[in-house]
Amino acid sequence: MTDAPPLLRLTGITKRFPGIVALDGVDLTLHAGVVHALTGENGSGKSTLARVAAGALARDAGRIEVDGVERPLGSPKEALDLGIVTITQELTLAPTLSVAENIFIGRLPRGRTRAIDWAKLRADAREVLDRLDVRVDERRPVGRLSVELQQEVEIARAVSSPSRLLILDEATSSLSEAAARRLLEVVEELRSRGVAVLMISHRLHELYGAATTATVLRDGRVVADVRLPSTPPSALVRLMVGRELRDYYRKRTIEPGEPVLEVDKLRSRDGRLAPTTLTVRRGEIVGVAGLAGSGKAEFGLALAGAIPSEGSVRVLGRPADLSQPHSALAGGIGLVPDDRQRSALLPTRSVAENFSVAWTGELTRAGVLDARAERRRVRAAIERYDVTTGSPQRRITALSGGNQQKVVLGRVFDRDLAVLVLSEPTRGIDVGAKSEIYRLMQDRAERGAAIVVISSELAELLGIADRILVFFRGEVRGEFAAAELDEERLAHVVVSGGPLEPAA
Amino acid sequence: MGRYAGVLVALVLLCVYLSITQDVFLTWGNITNIAKSNSVVFVLAIGATFVVISAGIDLSTASTTAAAGMVLGLAMEAGWSIVPVLAATVLFGVFLGLVNGILITKLRISFLVVTLGTLSIYQSFALIVNDGQTISVFGEPGFSVLSDFVNDQIGPFPILLIFDLVLLLVAGGVLRYTGFGRALFAVGSNPEAARLNGIEVGRIILITYGIAGLAAGLASIVQVGRLTGASAQADPTLLLTVVAAVLIGGTAYTGGEGGVLGTLIGVLFLGVVQNGLTLSDVSSFWHGTVSGVILIGAVGLGVRRDLNWSARRRRTTPARLDEPSQ
Repeated sequence: MTDAPPLLRLTGITKRFPGIVALDGVDLTLHAGVVHALTGENGSGKSTLARVAAGALARDAGRIEVDGVERPLGSPKEALDLGIVTITQELTLAPTLSVAENIFIGRLPRGRTRAIDWAKLRADAREVLDRLDVRVDERRPVGRLSVELQQEVEIARAVSSPSRLLILDEATSSLSEAAARRLLEVVEELRSRGVAVLMISHRLHELYGAATTATVLRDGRVVADVRLPSTPPSALVRLMVGRELRDYYRKRTIEPGEPVLEVDKLRSRDGRLAPTTLTVRRGEIVGVAGLAGSGKAEFGLALAGAIPSEGSVRVLGRPADLSQPHSALAGGIGLVPDDRQRSALLPTRSVAENFSVAWTGELTRAGVLDARAERRRVRAAIERYDVTTGSPQRRITALSGGNQQKVVLGRVFDRDLAVLVLSEPTRGIDVGAKSEIYRLMQDRAERGAAIVVISSELAELLGIADRILVFFRGEVRGEFAAAELDEERLAHVVVSGGPLEPAA
Repeated sequence: MGRYAGVLVALVLLCVYLSITQDVFLTWGNITNIAKSNSVVFVLAIGATFVVISAGIDLSTASTTAAAGMVLGLAMEAGWSIVPVLAATVLFGVFLGLVNGILITKLRISFLVVTLGTLSIYQSFALIVNDGQTISVFGEPGFSVLSDFVNDQIGPFPILLIFDLVLLLVAGGVLRYTGFGRALFAVGSNPEAARLNGIEVGRIILITYGIAGLAAGLASIVQVGRLTGASAQADPTLLLTVVAAVLIGGTAYTGGEGGVLGTLIGVLFLGVVQNGLTLSDVSSFWHGTVSGVILIGAVGLGVRRDLNWSARRRRTTPARLDEPSQ
């Protein structure tokens, strides 16, 4: 370390929200050329701290120094001017503008006449995208892209900005493993050029791959500053949750029962999903892996009746009508979608209504809602799915991501459905909540559901699934028993679409 | 509660002020007058509340009222007895609302475009059917029923006031205690989430515009009764007053939240302001200015509160804050 003042020093940062102290006297020091991990469970204050550091949120108390000079850091603009750039899982793109315009928004290249130099803009954008290996036409409007590609554009914008401190707040959570790896390569390159990096991720292996030091938050306080990778993951997780997390994936022995879900040549009408055939038995958890655009997301959406499809699907021997989500639900197939904000939450409604929106049919008789039964059922669900909320009447958006996800999963689990399709069920939530969600999934399977889990996290699939399907370019390229695989060999099939390599 | 608390406080303060400065304000006669003269607005605003919760708006509401009023007038003129007349009027309103709803949900045309178009078409229809002439229903058979409905009292309470209260209770009950009400809030809050949870979004929206049409049919009965005739020309300030009342009452134009109690307070607030201006001998030319300032002020204050609220949440850049929440 040199004697130069740290790039960013936060001292005694305190932030209160109504009813809770989100940050309680937090200290954090970031140095140029160092990747610093910030970890902790959901609701521990990681994102709040990141937002204070990015000028997006005003602190109630505490001191911020940049290069040893005290700064108010009262606005995102001030932070940006100081070279503090943030990537979050929230998208902040202009959907009607092109990819290239979005990457260079606010700093479009100008020609001699001050007119925008479109040729240079496109060339510069191409260069940034190629560096990240993002295959997308830079002229396309961003709004036409998939969420994953949008996230990559967001990242391209951030890494091409002149930055001295890059804050990654769950930036990889909606990326495929391959895209996440590319992002981490770029992060390493920036770091070697002297950029400081603050990294928040629930993927421990990413933290271990990139960061050399970690600050652990719990309940808004710093519980430890540790070195990586010398601190083993088990110790880090213990610091985060304050207890030992054994049986992270509780292994179970199942006796798969009769076929519950029989999919025969299901394909999406837009051609992104080639005809796919699959049988899932009672009590079985089938994992679905694949890159972005591999068709794995479409497989889930088609099963749930959310996109137009063709082919035949039987649930418990009866044909299911997949023309609409409500008909798929009537046939016994429920979906937890991958994008919580966009397709799952009712942001203006309470926790209770976010639960009961899935149960309206069961709670109404002749159109009239049984409010007492609803209250009872919501209270039971809050307990069963372990949702931390002050009251069932709180707005859903006041909850942490993990608790929101428990509501979204719980409302579907609590319906009497034979088939559950879960797309990225643990995206952007912490280790503690994850293991609870795995437990809930396994319980649900044991109680007789057939579960299809679509995930970009291979370790998760290997841990939770009995069988794993790998999608590549719209079709299934392999089907494996989870027990015979390890992460590396699975990753090879996911990335290349090639056959399974023999175990080393 | 909450979304309209500010307007409620303002309404109470205004009433206190007016009862001190204007002797007649607190008389029963003036109070029932406020209730009666705002009934048309109130009935329409109840229907509009459903539409706004669905994250839409029905710009054709005043034209629908005029068109349904003409049906009422023509049917009475033709000598129909009162029950079929009223049924035909209400059903015609529902029909026009469903036409809006079908265009929006089946042909997937924006509600702004559809209801702007039908604003013009329904108004034109009202002019065409009787050559632009007002139909006087005074003295027609069945007129006494209409007249009693808008003028008579049960004890000290005008029938119209009781009608409005019943409407309020029914609408509030539908929003709160029916599957449809829950589905409506879900659709307004996040249509994709609603759809994936098995709600037939198109059907909910269709019903919602049907309700707006039903309200217009009912409002036209009140209006024809009060004017003792059906005017072929829609009241030009009606649409604005209705929408303003809904928004002032705290129902968010971005959908997914609000309610009819807030709408009642919004209607009363605008009504009391008008009444106060009239009692204070302020030229009626100024009434529109005052209503407009109140609308912008009330919704502006609501938006500011939402901004403060969401600034504490996860949204990051100010540029996103004014986007609708779905």
